[in-house]
Amino acid sequence: MWKVVAVKQPTDGGARRAIFTPVDNRARVETVVHRLGDAIELGLLADGEQLPGESELAGQLGVSTVTLREALMALRQQGLVVTRRGRGGGSFVSLPDVPGEERLKVRLRGWSTEELRDLGDHWAALSGAAARLAAERTEPDDLAQLRRSAEELAHAGDAAARGRVYGRFHVELAAAAQSARLTREQVALQTEVGALLCLVLGDDTYREEVADRHRSVISAVQDGAHESARTLAERCVQESTARLIALRLTL
Amino acid sequence: MRSSPGPGGTTTLDASTEERVASRVGDALEAVFAAVAQTRAETAALLARVSEQGRAPASADLAALRPGLHLRLARQELVSGVGFIAAPGLLGDVPAWLEWWQTTADGDVRPLLPDLDPERSAYSDYTHWDWFALPRDTGRRAVAGPYVDYLCSDEYSLTLSAPVEVAGRFVGVAAADIYLRHFEAAALPLLRELPGPAHLVNARGRVAASADPAHLAGSLTKGPDFGAVLERARTKTFGPLRLVPCPSVPLVLVVTTA
Repeated sequence: MWKVVAVKQPTDGGARRAIFTPVDNRARVETVVHRLGDAIELGLLADGEQLPGESELAGQLGVSTVTLREALMALRQQGLVVTRRGRGGGSFVSLPDVPGEERLKVRLRGWSTEELRDLGDHWAALSGAAARLAAERTEPDDLAQLRRSAEELAHAGDAAARGRVYGRFHVELAAAAQSARLTREQVALQTEVGALLCLVLGDDTYREEVADRHRSVISAVQDGAHESARTLAERCVQESTARLIALRLTL
Repeated sequence: MRSSPGPGGTTTLDASTEERVASRVGDALEAVFAAVAQTRAETAALLARVSEQGRAPASADLAALRPGLHLRLARQELVSGVGFIAAPGLLGDVPAWLEWWQTTADGDVRPLLPDLDPERSAYSDYTHWDWFALPRDTGRRAVAGPYVDYLCSDEYSLTLSAPVEVAGRFVGVAAADIYLRHFEAAALPLLRELPGPAHLVNARGRVAASADPAHLAGSLTKGPDFGAVLERARTKTFGPLRLVPCPSVPLVLVVTTA
């Protein structure tokens, strides 16, 4: 559509803006879909919760109401939002009871493999650095929370619970490094990757493998083996990212 | 800047300076513990009143604590968060509850509203955190941290807490948060009064504040048994280090003497 406009008025300033508007707008729609979708998937927005009115929500997110409407339409198509008309109407969060594997796959399709690779790089950098620092800065008594998370992961039933506990382990690792900044970054990263991880953690064998990898990270941290702690944490994260990318390529 | 170690007389002078510094660090935390004790007393009184009415307390009852909590946040410069954390099962309407208020970066006072539903949040169980477990298990007040508080503030913090009991039964903890940067601002001028490099550690040897670039906040000082120093409440020498317990709070002043 925008190509036509560009050909018709190649030198016009307004047309040039028109060329770029749809691209910008598309990215904004995707950003809003990502943000709200992740929040719903992770349960930060509760099932049945009413979203603020369109103009208020658009204002809060810093997007136009047109952009917001497109994003809400996409979320309705994914089944994450329902809109009711009339009195008491509005947009409501809708989360089916069954684990939304299909919905998550739709969300995964919203990521390019390059974006997933980059997300994995960021995650490995955070968790690798955290593991190395934790090995320097902890005593066995400080590792109780990490141990609890490794064991909970080994016993967690549904994929959503596994995803949450997996993320918590990495947040706790950053806290064990005694770094508030690494912890905040890890919390933010988990809000992006957490929901997607459910897709690879549903497999019991892989869930066991991750729990084992977490246990080895804890052992290396406890032994004060800085470099192995770092390497083990990086490998754990890289393997999960590789699985997400492999799954993405089948979609 | 360090003065050379002198004969007996100087050592005595240094020793008394060290004890004075340790004692003033203790005073700073005692002021915060006084605020915790007020929250504890108000909460216990409130819960006892509800109990006399013959009903289980509910989360709405705890709203009566707010004026006191806000006052303590305003008055205590070191404190950035205060409140009462209910033992799970105490309240009739919710499984768990934090009546917790924080000062925001722009000076507002806001409640903490964490998601405590275990079906949705991986962080719903707070009973394993030191600030909850220590007072519950020992029956005594405690200093937790330094630690990264990713539940409440995302800040590197110390949390001072005390158990709240009603008719001899543990019902939760009263607590106050001190962000480590604020603690450092209070402790550093004191540490700098000492002639040698000095830092403060908790019972496990984790550095809480330091005027010594070789021992940074959050790192571990390894070797000495700081827990034993606190228990004995007496200054101890460990190689080139002098370990001075802060009176009545679980921090040890570590001074390098040579």
